[in-house]
Amino acid sequence: MNELVFALAVNGLVWGLIIALIALGLSIIFGLLDVINVAHGDFFMLGTVGGLVVATSTGSFWLALAVVPLIGLVLGAVIERMVIRPTLRQASLTIVTTFGLSMIIQEMVRAIYGPQPRRMAAPIEGTVPLFGIDYEVYRICAAVFAALFLVAFFLFLNRTKLGTWIRAVRHDPETATTLGIPVAQVSGFTFALGTAMALLGGVIAAPITTVEFRTGVDVLPFCFMAVIIGGLGNLQGTVAAAIMLAVLEGLVTSVTEPTIARIVSLAFMSVVLLVRPHGLFAGATR
Amino acid sequence: MTAAYARALAIAVLIVALLAVPFVLPAFGATFWVSIATEILIWSLLAASVNLLLGYVGLLSFGQALYFGIGMYGVALSINAWNVGFWPALAIGIVAASVMALLTGVFAVRLTWHYFAIITVVFSLIFYFAAMSMKGVTGGDDGVSFSPPPVLKLGELELTLVDATTQYYVVLGVVLACYVLTALIVNSPLGLAFKAIRENDRRAALIGINVYRTRLIAFVIAGALAGTSGALFAFFGRYASASYMFYHVSGEAVVWAIVGGAGSLLGPLFGAGALIVFRELVSTLWEHYLIAVGAITICVVMFAPRGLAGAWNDALRLAFTRIPDEPARRDAFDRRNASEGGEAAAIIEEKR
Repeated sequence: MNELVFALAVNGLVWGLIIALIALGLSIIFGLLDVINVAHGDFFMLGTVGGLVVATSTGSFWLALAVVPLIGLVLGAVIERMVIRPTLRQASLTIVTTFGLSMIIQEMVRAIYGPQPRRMAAPIEGTVPLFGIDYEVYRICAAVFAALFLVAFFLFLNRTKLGTWIRAVRHDPETATTLGIPVAQVSGFTFALGTAMALLGGVIAAPITTVEFRTGVDVLPFCFMAVIIGGLGNLQGTVAAAIMLAVLEGLVTSVTEPTIARIVSLAFMSVVLLVRPHGLFAGATR
Repeated sequence: MTAAYARALAIAVLIVALLAVPFVLPAFGATFWVSIATEILIWSLLAASVNLLLGYVGLLSFGQALYFGIGMYGVALSINAWNVGFWPALAIGIVAASVMALLTGVFAVRLTWHYFAIITVVFSLIFYFAAMSMKGVTGGDDGVSFSPPPVLKLGELELTLVDATTQYYVVLGVVLACYVLTALIVNSPLGLAFKAIRENDRRAALIGINVYRTRLIAFVIAGALAGTSGALFAFFGRYASASYMFYHVSGEAVVWAIVGGAGSLLGPLFGAGALIVFRELVSTLWEHYLIAVGAITICVVMFAPRGLAGAWNDALRLAFTRIPDEPARRDAFDRRNASEGGEAAAIIEEKR
C-alpha cells in the first residue's frame, strides 16, 4: 500500500514537471498576447505524435527531442502570423479562433496519422529500485529533462536580451515600444516559443503516454488548472502549481478513482479563481 | 419599402418556410432532411444561449453544454423514474437546467471575460467528470435511454414523436416560443440593462443598474435556453448521455453563434443551420470535414466578426439606403457601428 502511494506520488511529480513545461508555454502566451490558447493541448499532442514519428522513422529518440521542438517553433511563428495576429484586436475571440485551430490540428492528425492510439517504446529501457518498488528509468529521465528545460527557460528569460525584451513587453508594451523594442516580433516569437515548449513536453511525454489525436483534450484542462492556480501570467507560480496539482492528484488517486481526483482539483481551481483570481501565490511575486 | 419592412417580411418568409418544411422536403424525396431540420432547430437554441450571453451581455461562456446535459438528464431520468408525460418531463428538464445555472451562475458571474470563460468550462468539466463516474445513475458515456411518452392524448387522438412530422412541429413550436420570449426579453428594460452592461459595465453600475444581479438573470435565462435545447434533444434521440456535457459541445455552440452572428436574435439559427447542413452534405464525401469547419470558424472571426446576420443586415442597408453625400455617409457609418450587429464586434474590442 505504501509503495503504491509512493509510486503514484512520484508519477505525479514526473507528470507535474512535464505539465509545468507545457503550462509555462500557455502562460507566457497569455501573459504577453492576452490569448487564451485552446489549441495548446493539441500542440502537446503534435509533440507526442511528432516524437513517435521521428523516433520510429530515424531510429533515434534524441533526434526527435531536438527536431520536433524546432518544428514547433516554426509552426508557432506561422500560426501566430496567419491566425493570431489578425484577430488580436478582439482578444476574447481568440478563444474561438484557437478552438477552430484545435479542430483543424486534431482532424489533420487523424487524417494523416490515423485514429488508433499507439504506444511508444521508451528510449531507455529498464527499471531501478526506488524505495522498495521497481521504477522505470525513463520516467526519471523524463523528469530530469523537464526540470533541465525549465531551468533553461528561466535562464533564457532572465539572462538574455531576448528574454528581457519578452519580460519588458509583458510588463508594458507601450513603454517597450518607445524604448525601440520590436513589440510585434517579440509577441510572435513568444507565441512560437510557447508552441515549441508544448511540443517539447509532448516529445518528452510520448514514451509514457498514449499517442493519439485526442491526447491534447485531456492535457489542456490540467495545464489551465496549473496556470490559473499559479496565477495567470505568474510563471514561477505556474510551475509550482503544476507540480503541486500533479502530486496531489497522484495521492488522491491512491485512495479513490482518477475521475474523483480530477474533480477535486477542478473544484480547488474554481475556489482559487473566485477567491484569489490572481492565483494562489499572488503577492509573493508581485 | 424600408429596411425594417424588408426585415419583417423576411421573418414572415422564414416562419412560413419553417412551417412548410415537412411538406416541401418529402415532396422532393428528401424525407431524411426533415429530421435534420428538427436537429437544427434544437441545436440553434444552444447557440442562442451562447448568443444571449455573448451578444447581449458581453460574457463568453464556454460551458453551456453543462445546462444542455442537465436538460437531457432531467427528461430521461424523470421519465424513467416517475413515468411522467411529455410536457412535465420537458418542464423538469428546463427547470433543472435553470436551477443548475442559478447555482453555478452565483459564482461564475462574479468574473468576466477570460476568467468567466475559464470558470464556465471548469464548472462544466466538474459535472462532466461527475456524470462520467456516476455510471449507475447517468450511464456515463453510453447514457440512459427511455421511451418517449405521447405529446398529447385526447380520447382517440394521440400525437407521438414517432411520427417525424409531429416531432418536427412540436420542436418548432417550442423553439419558436423560446425565440419569441428571448425577443421580448432583449427588447424589454431588462434587455436594455443587458446591453448597457455589455457596452460598459462601470457606467451601467453608475446609472443604478445592479450589474451582478442582471448578469445572473441573463445567465439563468441562458441556462434555461440551453436546458430546453438539451431536453428537446433528449426527446429527439430518446436518450441522454454524459458525453454531451463535454466542453467540445459548448465550443461547437460558440462557433454556431459566432458564425451566425453574435448579438443578433436569429443569428444562432442561421449559424447552426449553415454548419449542420454543411456537415450533412460534406461529411459523407469527406471524412475530415472538421478541418473545413475549423477554417470557416477562423475566417469568420477574421473577416466577418458579425457573422451571417451581420452580412445580411449590411446587405439590407445597402439595398434600402440612398447613397448619401460624404458627411451623411460617415454619420451612417457611425450609426451602423453602433447598431444591432456592430455592437457585438464592438464590445469584443472594448473589453481588452
